[in-house]
Amino acid sequence: MNTVDEGRAGRVWASIDAIARREGAPPSIRHVCLACAAELKAGVGLSMTRDGGLREPVFATDPASEELQELQFTLGEGPCVDALTRHGTVLAADLSGVEYERRWPIFAPAVRERGIEAVFSFPVQAGAVRFGVLDVYRPEAGPLCPDELTDALLYADAAFGLALDDQGGITATVNNLLGDGFVGRQAALHQAAGMVSVQLGVTVAEGLARLRGYAFANDLRLGSLAVEVVARRLRFHPDALPPGAGGPRDNGADPSTGTTKDVDR
Amino acid sequence: MSTTDRDVRSVFVELADTLVADFDVIDFLDTLSRRVVELLDVSACGVLLADHHGALNLVAASTEQARLLELFQIQNSEGPCLDCHRTGWPVQSPDLTHAEGRWPNFAPAARRFGFAAVQALPMRLREETIGALNLFSANTGILSPDAVELGQALANAATIGILHERAVRRHELVIDQLQSALNSRVLIEQAKGVLAERLGFSVDEAFTALRAHARATNRKLAEVARAVIDDGLIITAPPAP
Repeated sequence: MNTVDEGRAGRVWASIDAIARREGAPPSIRHVCLACAAELKAGVGLSMTRDGGLREPVFATDPASEELQELQFTLGEGPCVDALTRHGTVLAADLSGVEYERRWPIFAPAVRERGIEAVFSFPVQAGAVRFGVLDVYRPEAGPLCPDELTDALLYADAAFGLALDDQGGITATVNNLLGDGFVGRQAALHQAAGMVSVQLGVTVAEGLARLRGYAFANDLRLGSLAVEVVARRLRFHPDALPPGAGGPRDNGADPSTGTTKDVDR
Repeated sequence: MSTTDRDVRSVFVELADTLVADFDVIDFLDTLSRRVVELLDVSACGVLLADHHGALNLVAASTEQARLLELFQIQNSEGPCLDCHRTGWPVQSPDLTHAEGRWPNFAPAARRFGFAAVQALPMRLREETIGALNLFSANTGILSPDAVELGQALANAATIGILHERAVRRHELVIDQLQSALNSRVLIEQAKGVLAERLGFSVDEAFTALRAHARATNRKLAEVARAVIDDGLIITAPPAP
């Protein structure tokens, strides 16, 4: 395939949307966990980072997963911890292996005591923007099949989009989130996030959230907005208030958006 | 053929060296894209890898024009690299003036950048095509069979390098490697933005500075990128022309 598999990503988002609708709530990272658990027939837990370091369990789909999330947090060992430090996926398909007893001497036996034989951890991240880790717990040993693995990565991407919108105080529809696909693919988006972070003196995560907020508030595609920023046709100003906050500003700053367009545009 | 056996051998040795210890996909492909240009006597080279969405991502390019053209292909879902990745077979166009029926957007764009011919080689191991290598030439005409063979050998070496052929047979580990490479790429793009804004560079000048710093300090690109973002590493080297 040479185009984005919108079909697959679309199905993943639709499964999240269906659960959110059943609750009559806007889609959230909790719904990502529930949908992922149903799709993969597994327990799912989500931990979020604070300032890129310490993480805390924020949600689990069942009591065993919740205990294991807490346990990793308490012990400072486990796949979620490794996924954070390595910035990559951790796929432990059979915890009966000696290597896992060595790697996680307390966590690995504790997992198996709860009837779980395989754990998989997926970072919720895009480069330096790290929101957390999605953990998948399965009672039977064995790897995720390629489709399951792809789905798990897509659920982690969905969690990324929703975590970003949480940070920016945005409540978007699934269609809007799907259209803006945050992770990978768009070089200009990540360049723009880096540029905005310097313009505003904030983290790259916050820079990305501000871009997304501006695009959302002005009904722009995130990718097109990023191109404007990279071409320096649009700047974000630290002295302007965040989107929606209002308030008078000088220097030509647009008070409702926190940005200024260059004079030559 | 424009190269001596010794050149070819030394490039394979260089690539093999990068495979041994502390392998980094991005640095590896960055090296590959520049060596391919030297060895095959083409004007530019770009490398695309597929992600779990099935979408191709730019991971390395020898020149700014190649980088833009690769991005152009991705955005328009059209071009030799995409055809090559989809079919798993080499794709060539020895004269882009005759390729507008095939690639109505890509062919004129490539010509505007001064390229007259293009060749794409698959990065494939057995059934799996993980990406494609794009070769751009300023002159029309097909590459010699020797050059194509050498280019494919380099693409194969790169593929095996990425998949760590001996250790990796399983889909999940392939995904892990690719995820990690693509995440490094995102990190580098973010660092380019940060540096560009701090120094008043274009993002491409920022990348040149980033790469020069990584070389000079013998560190990985992604590592330097992370230091720029997380630790406020200051790179002041002026961009090379």
